[in-house]
Amino acid sequence: MDAVEDGQRHLPPFFERCNIGAAASNRVEVIFEEIVSNAVRHGFEANSGQTMHVWVSARPQAVELRFEDDGVPFNPVERAAPSPFQSLETAPLGGLGIDLVKKLAASMRYERLPGAPYSASAPGQAFAPSNHLIVTVSTLR
Amino acid sequence: MEMQVSDIDQVTKVALSGRLDSAGASQIEMRFTAVIVPKGQPAIVDLSEVSFLASLGVRLIISTARALLGKGRKLALYGANPTVMEIIETTALHEIVLVAGSEGEAIGMVKA
Repeated sequence: MDAVEDGQRHLPPFFERCNIGAAASNRVEVIFEEIVSNAVRHGFEANSGQTMHVWVSARPQAVELRFEDDGVPFNPVERAAPSPFQSLETAPLGGLGIDLVKKLAASMRYERLPGAPYSASAPGQAFAPSNHLIVTVSTLR
Repeated sequence: MEMQVSDIDQVTKVALSGRLDSAGASQIEMRFTAVIVPKGQPAIVDLSEVSFLASLGVRLIISTARALLGKGRKLALYGANPTVMEIIETTALHEIVLVAGSEGEAIGMVKA
């Protein structure tokens, strides 16, 4: 989970620089936390060297988060929501994070990109298949 | 994530301080459950110094409240700031766990 904390410390200066309000800033931080920690816990194999890159940028009336990782295929957009809470006794404990992201986000888009083998034009480089997720958060509210 | 435990008239009070994210929840998970459930008395959780709440924190609250309910006792949250409250409401946590506006109200809820 060091990766989550390492990335999160870049967010407050970004929020200040771009004048993002407290509510939108929190939503961005929660989404960052949920997506990155989910990938680390479920998408990466131990000692694999798999990586995730995250870009956060200000858009008109929104913040865009772009996540790219070479972990196992995972499309959170199509992930079914957990059953609504009926009672404390039966409330599901799994799936809360992705569902929270969907509710906080203004939009989510996912694609799985194929990898590229080694080639003469890019010696020493091969690209693994990767997950690409783009999430936007409205800064209007 | 820091945790302070006290007793108010046979109600366990746990005051949390810091970020209740994946790291924070993992850090306090065992102790949080251990100071609340075995005692088998009503419990209140002060969130006024919690700056951030994410799904693993929500999960910890649900599992602990559920375990305490198994002993016939209630758990109530209070003191959440607006951004923490947004997460409580977005996850619908407030529909299954008591959420109060003050310590006094929380004590009244869990003793009722």
